[in-house]
Amino acid sequence: MQPSNDQLSDKKPCIHCGNAISLTSRFCNACGGKQTNGDDAVIDNKWARIQEAGLFYAVIIVLCALANFIAQFQTLGWSLFFAGVLAIVSISFFAYHWAGNKRLLAWPEFSFQKLCAYCFIAIIGSVFVQYAVGWLNVTFYSRQQENLTALKGNFWGEVILVFFVAVMPAIFEELGFRGYLLQNLLKVADAQQALFITSFLFAIIHMSFLSLFWLIPFALLLGYIRFKEKTLWYGVFMHFFFNFTACMFMLSGL
Amino acid sequence: MENKTAPSTENVLRCDGCFTEIGTDYIYCTNCGYPIKGTAAEQAKFISQKNRIDVTAVELTQRVNKSINKAGRTLYYLSGLFILGGIIAFFKLKDDPDVLAVVIPYLILGVVFLLLGEYSKKHTLACFISGLCLYVIVQVLDLFQNPDLNLISFVIIALIIGFLIMGIKSAIEIEKIKKHNNIS
Repeated sequence: MQPSNDQLSDKKPCIHCGNAISLTSRFCNACGGKQTNGDDAVIDNKWARIQEAGLFYAVIIVLCALANFIAQFQTLGWSLFFAGVLAIVSISFFAYHWAGNKRLLAWPEFSFQKLCAYCFIAIIGSVFVQYAVGWLNVTFYSRQQENLTALKGNFWGEVILVFFVAVMPAIFEELGFRGYLLQNLLKVADAQQALFITSFLFAIIHMSFLSLFWLIPFALLLGYIRFKEKTLWYGVFMHFFFNFTACMFMLSGL
Repeated sequence: MENKTAPSTENVLRCDGCFTEIGTDYIYCTNCGYPIKGTAAEQAKFISQKNRIDVTAVELTQRVNKSINKAGRTLYYLSGLFILGGIIAFFKLKDDPDVLAVVIPYLILGVVFLLLGEYSKKHTLACFISGLCLYVIVQVLDLFQNPDLNLISFVIIALIIGFLIMGIKSAIEIEKIKKHNNIS
């Protein structure tokens, strides 16, 4: 007697003889064949995935360290160069796994209200962080928050500041970290661990250990939204408004 | 062939290879592949092969666990080193107005490595990858500030990075061993 469709719903065919076996079976009860389903290949591939993610992160570390700590590179021209290289690195790694990553660039269930709500949360969060960091700087470092009021009224100065602080990081950090890195690590670890690693790596790449208190929760929030909404775009807008608020604080000298 | 029974009131057929519950119509066990209706020679061969694999798996697991423990301990050592560094820096610079600017990052790193070491028992891979990346960043920053790296420092840094990389590799390896040997 042939099994009905209902009976087959919790079964799978043996990969060797086609006999219907339980979904949890490791071996077929009729032919004894092992039901590997390519598990070994997946596990062997994990180390290669980690090495690839390591290469991505190593390149980012070197570029960020050069841009931030070598005095000769602290000019507008060099800043543009490093921003460009960082963007190319993020795009290249993201595009390397284009087939698996491209869906993150889609915006399947766009909601304007949701976008506004996320951006509002980002702005409020940024205001809180600016005051908290300002207080910490004064308390522990005896210095004021970075003040760029000299740029106020200088149109191109303001445009360049917004470009470097808000636009570029919002697009390319999201593409690199919540796009490429998180997606890659999901092939290596479970969602919880992949989210933690991505957020931690994102936080420490800013090379300010005092700022970890807000960078890690911020990165976890962006990662969570990327998981929940299955798109990078909400994160890009949140990141932009978070950093844009920071720009406004720098320009106003608050 | 004698089937072992569960210590319950109902009679349940169990595999002689792994003692998993089996159906009456099974020719092979669905958990370990034991030939339930095979000849005595086939069953003996299966058990002998399984025992050989089990011994190899145990040895491999021990080796891999050793690497994982070593990497876990490395995170604790790093925590201790940074906290100690912070304390030394505090006493060296206690009259400097910017003493906290030097001491606090040391203490933050100490606490972060301590947390990573603690959570590495539960989330091994995540903590080892995070610990390795953090350590590399700290060393890169240090290298930019003090480019004169002596041989001893270089060897110590290479050893720490090596232990953490081996820990990451072992965290993946242990999963492979578990899958190969049907350990959940």
